[in-house]
Amino acid sequence: MDSVMKKAVKTDVRLNETYFEVKADDFRDVCRHLFEDLHAVLRVMFASDERERDGCFRIYTVFTVPGTDRFSIIVLSLTPDEPGFPSITSVVPAAHWYEREIMDMFGLVPRGHPDRRRLVFHEAFPAGSHPLRKDWSMVESDMRAWGEGKTINVPHPFMEVEGEGIVEIPVGPVHAGIIEPGHFRFSAVGETIFFLEPRLFYTHKGTEKHFETLGFTEGVKLAERVSGTSSFAHGAAYCMAIERMMGIEITEKAAAVRTLVLELERLYNHIGDIGNMCAGTALALGYMKGAVIKERLMQLNERLTGSRYLRGLNVIGGVTRDVFTHTDDILKTVDHATQGYKELMTLLLGAVSHIERLQHTGRLSKDIARKLGVTGVAARASGLTDDIRKSHPHLLYDRLIFEAHTYEQGDVLSRMMVRAEEIECSISMIQALFESSYQGGLTVPERTIPAYSAALGYTETPRGSVFYWAMADKAGKPLRVKLRSPSFCNWPAVPFAVHGNIVPDFPLCNKSFNLSYSGTDM
Amino acid sequence: MIKEIIKNLAAKKPAVPFPQGFSVKPEEAVKIVDFQKKIDTIFGRSLRIRQIDAGSCNACEWECTALTNPVYDIQRFGIDFVASPRHADVLLVTGPVARQMEFALGRTYLATPEPRLVVACGDCAKDGGIYRGSYAVTNGVANVIPVDGYIAGCPPSPAAIVLGLAQLIEKLTK
Repeated sequence: MDSVMKKAVKTDVRLNETYFEVKADDFRDVCRHLFEDLHAVLRVMFASDERERDGCFRIYTVFTVPGTDRFSIIVLSLTPDEPGFPSITSVVPAAHWYEREIMDMFGLVPRGHPDRRRLVFHEAFPAGSHPLRKDWSMVESDMRAWGEGKTINVPHPFMEVEGEGIVEIPVGPVHAGIIEPGHFRFSAVGETIFFLEPRLFYTHKGTEKHFETLGFTEGVKLAERVSGTSSFAHGAAYCMAIERMMGIEITEKAAAVRTLVLELERLYNHIGDIGNMCAGTALALGYMKGAVIKERLMQLNERLTGSRYLRGLNVIGGVTRDVFTHTDDILKTVDHATQGYKELMTLLLGAVSHIERLQHTGRLSKDIARKLGVTGVAARASGLTDDIRKSHPHLLYDRLIFEAHTYEQGDVLSRMMVRAEEIECSISMIQALFESSYQGGLTVPERTIPAYSAALGYTETPRGSVFYWAMADKAGKPLRVKLRSPSFCNWPAVPFAVHGNIVPDFPLCNKSFNLSYSGTDM
Repeated sequence: MIKEIIKNLAAKKPAVPFPQGFSVKPEEAVKIVDFQKKIDTIFGRSLRIRQIDAGSCNACEWECTALTNPVYDIQRFGIDFVASPRHADVLLVTGPVARQMEFALGRTYLATPEPRLVVACGDCAKDGGIYRGSYAVTNGVANVIPVDGYIAGCPPSPAAIVLGLAQLIEKLTK
């Protein structure tokens, strides 16, 4: 172990983040060692344009070794005359999308990457244009042509499957239903899906660049609007990153409020998701029952925070409201939801037609899930114990008793059951949070952000772990804000899960993952 | 049960008393009842909406989905969300219109038969909202296709969406 890690020089330790500087020649070796020998999880990989600081681009690769609450961040510095870096996708498959994203946003080429097509930008986006470079700009005519989408500047060939009886089915980006846009290219043999290639990033909104213009304080609002149903978790992770940069610690009270609301968010999402899966099997009663419980919980959200999506509660340094004053309302509504949820589960587990559709459908193997760095419900349903509330205790999670429930089969049924177990955990955590009282005010004052300081913020959304990494410039303004939503990790796994299933089961598989397009496309 | 139905029909009693489920003010409830009458007369009891996500964060979509749950149950007014723009009277567009969705939005608009109404739903759809000024958005639906009405809110609540539609129809029929 140590012989490889000697190549990495420890440069900085801040809280639970350890930064290692490596040379380009050793980069792949160090990453391979962490991923293969130490079974580390790739949490996030991104680039940053720090030329104004010391003339370098940097690639940050964040790993965690299971069993430790420590982030090992491998830093690779690149001078502008060397616009590429060694790709690690061949040894760490989870880096596949991250490296393509870096290529699109920074123009830094991952040398040796097996798929050098664009990820984020579509054909009409001009070649050689990389928005996250600090000196980037785009003329109005290019902008218009990009929107019109008629010119092909960089072709994007889909993978082609050849052979007798192969039928290509293109679907989207506008789908039949109230859902987000994305394009799917199925190659089917009869009804069976042989290969699926998703084409996403239709909802790319330039979020990371927009963080830089908004400033850190306004950024909370933007973080809350990255992915609608995980608004609070995104806001909490973002605030955590900024608070760690400022070197402030939120009060026990604020931490309790955040923990409580995170669990309320998980609760309404998971119950809604279990209900939505019924829409995939045409079990209308289950779908409607789930929708009613979800609606009641969202109305509770509105009474607590003024927003059905729990927006406006997080601020840097704490929270704006003390939701613990609504004890009776919360406990009563959650009790009511618990009863409804139990009835729903009795109905679903007794419905043979429903369970038969779920079982053995959309299987994702543990091996593929690990290699692709799958997170959250999808990871736990495939036997990986990945729960950032357990592995990196934050807020009040170290005081609460809960389990990271895992299932081995990795099918749609497992993903439903993981959600069911988590609903029960969330309910007991919510109740437990009301058993003690918490000290401190709602907020602590902000502090100035030191020049070029950086920090990670993270939490577990209903879909999986979310990460924010922020770095300040010389004046304490945002130099780079990286966000990684759980859906970004899980999308590449969907084609593996649907392989061999029939086309009509795709919506069901898709619903069982319940991924956010907006969170992925940013 | 059949007896009950016949009795209700004879008494011209509405099957579901309104505005159950919606937590709106009485004067707003009146507007919704008016709205339903207009749907009955102008749209032949059926107002069909095609919802398009043009780069929203997905909160607006979930509010539209919530409208079809048993609590709000907008189908009772004759309103429903349809799968194809070819079946739609109204295009309900959400999101600041991401540049990469501009083309698809324009095509969907053209696929909707006239007369068609376009409603920009949510703060993003109005003027870009929090995303205003980002390089990858067009700062509102009106910059891409002609818009007939706006619904404010981030996201607008299910009741606000119905009220917004009601006001639009009221404005157009005055």
